[in-house]
Amino acid sequence: MPTDKFFKQIANKVHPGEKLVSTHCSYCGMQCGMNLRVDTHSNTIIGVEPRYDFPVNLGKMCPKGVTAYQQVNHPDRIKRPLVRRDPSLKGTPDGFAEVSWEEALTLVTNKFKELQARYGKDTLSVYSGVSMTNEKCYLTGKFARVGLQTRYVDYNGRFCMSSAAAGLNRSLGIDRGSTVPWTDIHQTDCLFIAGSNAAECHPTSMFRIWEVQKRGGYLIVADPRETPLARRADIHLDLRPGTDLALANGIVHLLIKNGHIDEEFIRNHTNGFEETKELVASFTPEYVSEITGIAVEKIVRAAEIYGKAPEAIVLFCRGIEQQSKGTDNVSGYTNMALVTGKIGRPKSGVATLTGQGNGQGGREHGQKADQLPGYRKMDNPEHVREVACLWGIPEEEMPQKGVSAYEMFQLMLDKTIRSMYLLCSNPAVSAPNQNHVRAAMKSLDFMVCADFYMSESAEYADVILPVTTWAEDDGTTTNLEGRVIRHRQAQEWYAESKPDWWIQIEIAKRMGRGQYFEHLKNPRDIFDELRRLSKGATADYSGITYEKIDQQNGVFWPCTDDGDQGTPHLFLDKKFKHPDGKAKICALPYRPPAEEPDDEYPLRLTTGRVVYHYLSGNQTRRIPFLKAMYPDPLLEVHPETAKKYGLEHGELVLLQTRRGEAKYRVKVIAAIRPDTVFVAYHWGKDESINLLTNPALDPYSRMPEFKACAAKIVKLPKEEQLHG
Amino acid sequence: MAKQVLYIEMENCIGCRSCLAACTQCGGHDNRNRNYVLDVDPFETRQTIPLMCLHCVNPACARSCPAQAIQIADNGAVLSALVEKCIGCQNCTIACPYGIPKFDEEQNLMYKCDLCYDRSKDGIPPMCASVCPTNTLQWIDEKELAEKQAQHKLANGKWMASQMIEPLESETNVKISLPGILQGKQKLF
Repeated sequence: MPTDKFFKQIANKVHPGEKLVSTHCSYCGMQCGMNLRVDTHSNTIIGVEPRYDFPVNLGKMCPKGVTAYQQVNHPDRIKRPLVRRDPSLKGTPDGFAEVSWEEALTLVTNKFKELQARYGKDTLSVYSGVSMTNEKCYLTGKFARVGLQTRYVDYNGRFCMSSAAAGLNRSLGIDRGSTVPWTDIHQTDCLFIAGSNAAECHPTSMFRIWEVQKRGGYLIVADPRETPLARRADIHLDLRPGTDLALANGIVHLLIKNGHIDEEFIRNHTNGFEETKELVASFTPEYVSEITGIAVEKIVRAAEIYGKAPEAIVLFCRGIEQQSKGTDNVSGYTNMALVTGKIGRPKSGVATLTGQGNGQGGREHGQKADQLPGYRKMDNPEHVREVACLWGIPEEEMPQKGVSAYEMFQLMLDKTIRSMYLLCSNPAVSAPNQNHVRAAMKSLDFMVCADFYMSESAEYADVILPVTTWAEDDGTTTNLEGRVIRHRQAQEWYAESKPDWWIQIEIAKRMGRGQYFEHLKNPRDIFDELRRLSKGATADYSGITYEKIDQQNGVFWPCTDDGDQGTPHLFLDKKFKHPDGKAKICALPYRPPAEEPDDEYPLRLTTGRVVYHYLSGNQTRRIPFLKAMYPDPLLEVHPETAKKYGLEHGELVLLQTRRGEAKYRVKVIAAIRPDTVFVAYHWGKDESINLLTNPALDPYSRMPEFKACAAKIVKLPKEEQLHG
Repeated sequence: MAKQVLYIEMENCIGCRSCLAACTQCGGHDNRNRNYVLDVDPFETRQTIPLMCLHCVNPACARSCPAQAIQIADNGAVLSALVEKCIGCQNCTIACPYGIPKFDEEQNLMYKCDLCYDRSKDGIPPMCASVCPTNTLQWIDEKELAEKQAQHKLANGKWMASQMIEPLESETNVKISLPGILQGKQKLF
């Protein structure tokens, strides 16, 4: 039973002729607990009922969560495998014919074999996602490296969590998104939240966040926009997009200057303080104000509050991470906790708000270009040997490490990669610099897409394989706390759709690699293999079982044996995960965004989410309620800027960058910086803001700079303004 | 079972409209939502507020009904018009000071929030208050209500919607805190 102050024991409403299946949401990293209402006569999912006793969200849900079930029996579901008969229609939803699974799988494997015979094993690529279970994420890495024997596997977490991962690994020696359970959040005294619009992206965190203020604690928010979260902040640090590192260095400078540091903690548990102290010395409030555009007094006050807070948690999200220095931003804000020692104890620490449902688990089990299960690294020969041995393949058969998601598209254009197996992702909306990405997908010799709807990316495929939704399969995910939880099958597989794991095993068998896959009959078998492979590694799941998850309402990794109940709080022993047990305080020179405004492109463009949609919108744009609430993308413009360009609310304008252009209706709102404009990224085709975004990559995480580039607004002729 | 009421803290609202999505999910609501969330000053701020039926103790909608189609349940919930009695005159939609009752032209029938009577009669919170991710909408008992009242000592000494505006002559079952829940809050440090 949850012990939270918000918990109330409430019986569920069960309607006659129905049963409830207790599971979790399909969308963001909160992975809210929910019950699905199932009609016992037709055995179909017909609604949702709160799950009051799940400790993270206690029954609360956002509008996406409430309507998530409507994905399952949606009329747009793909019922049978589709094969493209008319290649001239690539890039459109037309020209496909329905075929049997046998025909589809035979075609896929024949094509794969033919291409590999002509161009080598690495001509195939697998492009994956993390809105799916640990079991599927794990199997996808094995499918690519053992089933298809290609080095090219990567996933959409490169556009999501990779900077958080790289930054946390560098600072703390481990990449678990939160050092504290979410139930600590409302009990802390100060929340310093950078680059997170939690009210729209992780709404079920909000009752805890507001509670900090109700207890008399402080809320500090760094964001270029006055989001619904920033609106109520004690201090809103309204910085220019892409200048976070200057702010982080400036706060650390003031913490040192004000004597708010914990010298004993620094001496015993960290490295790098002296270099960092020297580096941040020049980051005076005046200098930081000049770079960020934040008023000096606000910077000074924010540092004072964080420094004086008995307990404090630093939270960050994609706002700071989707930058060409995202990794440095993560380490920069983590420095705040390390110099003050506000980490490694209850109610104090750092956390990133994970974007995708299994953004945490999905980055641990080896579907990243440079990584193997259990968070093992491909450039560590010992790790490669261990995994090869457990998989039962000769060590020399283990493919080399590949390249990151965005970089795969370049390899498609130069024909190093001629085929892509795409699953659980929609890069034709979500990747930056869309003109380049779409050209790359169109240039492929053969593309397979596994999805449950006809996504914008599926339109480039030669074969579409219909997969089940989250509610039709069992398995686990790992939420933003690092808590491993269980999803339960609530309905039979829809029409002829199959789970991704079933499809991958079938393809592997047909590729002549069945011996490595045939023992896996269901998600539990796959989880057991994943557990075995993670034993002794950083992300150790070996002590986690489905039963233990049920008993404890989830298990926090690491969990190393049967008697281990898991690890809700990290570093309580003050042992960080670098070999010497110390955390690293990082000296990080400031770099501006890769592209700064100039005379030609005078505005700063930043992108993000709205509360009604999720990722590329492939799932949410079809749900009637969500579509009605936010049907089309809008360009947020400050009234001063609107006046300067002579724009009216609702007017259609052309937005341009050096990479592309798109037309949007103007939403005039004073809750954004006058030098900045914002568009949400959930739409495809000619509405996609990623036609305009900058693919400048972070050197460590290979994260593109979605959050800051230079743009200009072009006013359209009168007749176009109305219709467009 | 202690009597429970819907309690609203407007300032917590983030405009996610989860309450409206959830309203359609109460088994008895025919997939139609019954309340509203308003943008307060959309050119200036992202502030929003829910506009829910306040379930007046002596409701204008029911009093204006010539057919006695609007019943009041034992827990104070002012229910949707009874199908067999409603004559579709729409008096209730005009009489309500908040504009809450909605009208279905096809069915010639008024429908409105009934506090998910199907749930609340058994002590289960209405769907909106169950899902509200910000605690803008809360389902609380009288003891908790008294605590809220003691906590929010507001400048003008008033906090119930029923006392806010003079013409509202009667008490409401739904309680609303006036703006300023953090006003005068003693900070921890």
